[in-house]
Amino acid sequence: MPVTGKHVVDMMESVAAIKEALPYLLHGSVVTMGLVCGAMILGLTLGIFLAVGQVYGGAVLRSVIGVYVWFFRGVPLLVLLFLFYFGLFSLLNINLSAFTVAAIVLGLISSAYQSQIFRGAIVSLPEGQFKAARALGMSDRKSIFYIILPQALRLSIPAWSNEYSIVLKDSAVAYALGVMEIMARAHFVASRTYEHFPLYFTAGGIFLVLTYLGTKGLGILEKKVSIPGYTR
Amino acid sequence: MKMIRNSVLRVEGMTKRYGQKEVLKNASLTVNEGELKILIGPSGGGKSTLLQCINFLVTPDAGRVWLKGEEIIRTHKRALYAYRQKVGMIFQDFNLFDHLTALNNVTIGLVRVRGMHKQEALDKAVYELERVGLKDHIYKYPAQLSGGQKQRVSIARALAMDPEVMLIDEPTSALDPELISEVLAVIENLRANGMTMVMSTHHMGFAREVADEIVFLEDGCILETGTPDKIFLRAECERTRAFCSKILELYGNA
Repeated sequence: MPVTGKHVVDMMESVAAIKEALPYLLHGSVVTMGLVCGAMILGLTLGIFLAVGQVYGGAVLRSVIGVYVWFFRGVPLLVLLFLFYFGLFSLLNINLSAFTVAAIVLGLISSAYQSQIFRGAIVSLPEGQFKAARALGMSDRKSIFYIILPQALRLSIPAWSNEYSIVLKDSAVAYALGVMEIMARAHFVASRTYEHFPLYFTAGGIFLVLTYLGTKGLGILEKKVSIPGYTR
Repeated sequence: MKMIRNSVLRVEGMTKRYGQKEVLKNASLTVNEGELKILIGPSGGGKSTLLQCINFLVTPDAGRVWLKGEEIIRTHKRALYAYRQKVGMIFQDFNLFDHLTALNNVTIGLVRVRGMHKQEALDKAVYELERVGLKDHIYKYPAQLSGGQKQRVSIARALAMDPEVMLIDEPTSALDPELISEVLAVIENLRANGMTMVMSTHHMGFAREVADEIVFLEDGCILETGTPDKIFLRAECERTRAFCSKILELYGNA
């Protein structure tokens, strides 16, 4: 198909549409990163407790955590978002913004996945590490905090950067609650201007850049905290 | 006449079962101040289990332990942690904390367990590492050290806690022959300085030369206890004699 004048005009229109919408979409990436950071931090904090509980806890605690992980890994994100936002929180009369609810739900889901990352890292450490800590007179809590977790978390970084890219992509579903992140803004503009292709193309591009930056950053972190001479 | 010394560690009736298998049967021993007691016997005979039951890293099914006359109640956590501080433990495969430098392997117990001030802990750690000849390696990580150096760091780590007694579990089994002597030299030096120790080893030459008393352990039972001369030359038990002669055959001059 030969390139005609119409194609050139179309292309120019597309570029103009992107140019016009870009600041608006980029502003959405701030919202997206807010969601992702909030979710990752919540997921990290909860995930560590869940992992430690699952490895070292008693039978009751382990099965409670098992159910938690099963639930948050098993129910679709969209269902959970609606369940919490329209269901649970309004039932409990808790008034939270859509943004906060989305960050919490993403964080809870991520905590289930992150707990499994950390659990794997913890059990992969040689048993002697814990024994040596105990032999020095450390309580279990201190042994876990000063000896086990610093090593397990280092080992978790590669899997954790994978989790980051998943949460980043999942965060687009928050659009369904009306959180004005990248996807919601792209949809908002596209439905008015009918410039669907350039807008969703740009939105996708922004996600790709964010994925790249995040995994790159975590790669640098991994190198930075790596233990000299230590190979696995 | 043998000098009467104060007992530092007393172990009575130590028993451990894994499922049906009884790996330790009613083992008892008393370690006096400044004494080096060496456990010998075939692998799987219960040496490691006994040592780890003594500081409750392995939970015994029965058995009691006294340190300087005071019984340790395992379920009393605070007392258990305090007791473990006073019992230095050396493992066969070192078990250094992989994420910490040699220096911090030594300071972490001082700071986090004994609550020592950071600077004071650093000074003490440097001193302990110098004592085991690692002055030039204090900032290295375990992965950057040789096996012999790692074991010496682990000895420094245990010594820094000012233990009343040291439990040393086959400290040279994971080392190549060249590195064994540097570790044994450190242990010999400790003995010369009056450290109370219980050690398991397959080094019969070392055992014969430096042990005050040798304990022969097989199938979880203490079969015989005696001075090196008695065990190696005039053992009463048939199994002890057989074991020692095998080992002597293997290693010659022991």
